[in-house]
Amino acid sequence: MSFLEIKALTKRFFDMTAVDDFSLSVERGEFVSLLGPSGCGKTTTLQMIAGFEDPSSGSIILNGRNLSKVPARKRGLGIVFQTYALFPHMTVEQNVAFGLEMRGISGDDRRQKIANALDLVKLSHLAKRFPKAMSGGQRQRVALARALVIEPELLLLDEPLSNLDAKLREEMQLELRRIQQDAGVTTLLVTHDQSEAMALSDRIAVMQNGRLMQIGTPFDTYESPKSSFISNFLGKSNCLDARLISTGDDGAKLDVNGIQITGPAVNLLPGKVLISLRPERIDIVDSAEGVLPARVLERIFLGDQWLFRLETTIGNLLVVRRNRGRREAEPGETVHIAWLPEHLRILPQSQENVA
Amino acid sequence: MNSNGKYSLIFNGLFTIFMVAPLVVVIGVSFTPTGYLEFPPSGLSLRWFRAILDNPDFIDAAWISLKLGVCSATVSTIVAVPAALAIGRERFLGREALQALFLSPLTVPTVVLGIAFLRLLSLLEINGTFIGLTLCHAIIITPFVLRLVLSSVVGIDQSIEKAAVSLGASGWVVFRRVTLPLIMPGVVGGWVLAFITSFDELTVTVFIVNPSTTTLPVRLFSHITQTTDPLIASVSTMVILFTVALMLLINRFYGLDRLLMGESR
Repeated sequence: MSFLEIKALTKRFFDMTAVDDFSLSVERGEFVSLLGPSGCGKTTTLQMIAGFEDPSSGSIILNGRNLSKVPARKRGLGIVFQTYALFPHMTVEQNVAFGLEMRGISGDDRRQKIANALDLVKLSHLAKRFPKAMSGGQRQRVALARALVIEPELLLLDEPLSNLDAKLREEMQLELRRIQQDAGVTTLLVTHDQSEAMALSDRIAVMQNGRLMQIGTPFDTYESPKSSFISNFLGKSNCLDARLISTGDDGAKLDVNGIQITGPAVNLLPGKVLISLRPERIDIVDSAEGVLPARVLERIFLGDQWLFRLETTIGNLLVVRRNRGRREAEPGETVHIAWLPEHLRILPQSQENVA
Repeated sequence: MNSNGKYSLIFNGLFTIFMVAPLVVVIGVSFTPTGYLEFPPSGLSLRWFRAILDNPDFIDAAWISLKLGVCSATVSTIVAVPAALAIGRERFLGREALQALFLSPLTVPTVVLGIAFLRLLSLLEINGTFIGLTLCHAIIITPFVLRLVLSSVVGIDQSIEKAAVSLGASGWVVFRRVTLPLIMPGVVGGWVLAFITSFDELTVTVFIVNPSTTTLPVRLFSHITQTTDPLIASVSTMVILFTVALMLLINRFYGLDRLLMGESR
């Protein structure tokens, strides 16, 4: 049995099902993200694990202990809230000490643990400050120290970086990963930010409409999304309607708006499908190597890369090219594009509509 | 920093004069050496302040008002804090009705309340007693406490309390260590406002006092109905002094803007 075992967890509010038959296994020390748009049930799932919401059905087993009947205050989990939820009337030190006090840890033992926790988040020099006199990133660290000092079996992070500005968020991502690994604590992160989930997690669990849609390493989830929803939610993607003509050992044959293209073999019946192609996998090439001609509709300069919107006979496509300091095609120009057939993803048409 | 125009300065100046003028007059009158109300005073004398000492019933009344203010403000705070927590964050049947009930003493004319309390206290056979007065005042001043506490309850990020729970705090510990400190500006502000309201309550009180529980406003009122000597001015000056001292004390230890605006730390 895994360290954290969530089985068939369901939460219904009146006639609305917020979390539907959610199951997840997390190994000790693992960092797993629950990723999804707002309203997908990820926060409700976290609240049930934390003990602030009662599940309608299903079970949560942590290290062999069934949490269903355990009140929130006895679960011993470390939680970092989106707003950090620091005690504003206490200093950093007092904030961190709170959980230890509740456990009756005092004297040198307490001082040592507080010192270690503040050291871990590199805030030892601000122990006597009040949260009000600190920056967002520093408050974030205090919240982490307060959650980790009680040596929780499980660390829950609820959108911990969403209140930080973009630059700081990137720094904190690295920092958060380091702290998590130093502490070796099993961690569950709830986020709607795919780059955050990819940067931090060992595995990503994508949720939609209260259901778990796909779980895997960030690489696998990005490379082999199971639906167009996931391919669009994790990074950018070109999704096009297509018809699967045949599929076999030599690959799949598809018809996209009258154009014949090939893709990797799939386990689907011929008929209507979706194809997904990542913008960075489409290349702008010489006319001789091109698969399709395309007209540049617009281009956006993003510093390290260019983003093109192209018009082709199979539909409009987004294309990303690394900025190599060369001249790039301008709007109105006609270019030729190509991609490798194995980079095409063929997805069932109907999974989108599964409620 | 401040960019008040000429007209706004004039307006604010006039407004301040308008607010302060009655106090200046009362304080001025209290220093008169004459036996009648005169302003400006023809000389400076402490005659009417000495006269307070010759009228121990004023001093007794002041003590009763003080004790009554402290007791009724405390009683109403003890009732209003849990009520505000329930109304401010729970969703239950009759919540709106409960809130309306708690605020209703503000909307009922005080004369009507006075007659009602008189009948009620007579039925309970505690008319004119200190306990009866305390209960009636507590009812009148609860809306003030409730409103201030409610505004600070609504302003709390509830995840702060969840954080305390997740760290192992029981319900009572969360209240004492987290919730109460966070709503303290509202609680203290409400208590002080309630105390002041009770301290100068006249309309209701006049119905339900007896000679042994006469409060300062009632004592002053009955004095005015008989004579108009500068004694009332000197007593009033003492009350003003007491209030100013109270405000200075609060400002020193707590911050007046926090009290009056309900601003949290």
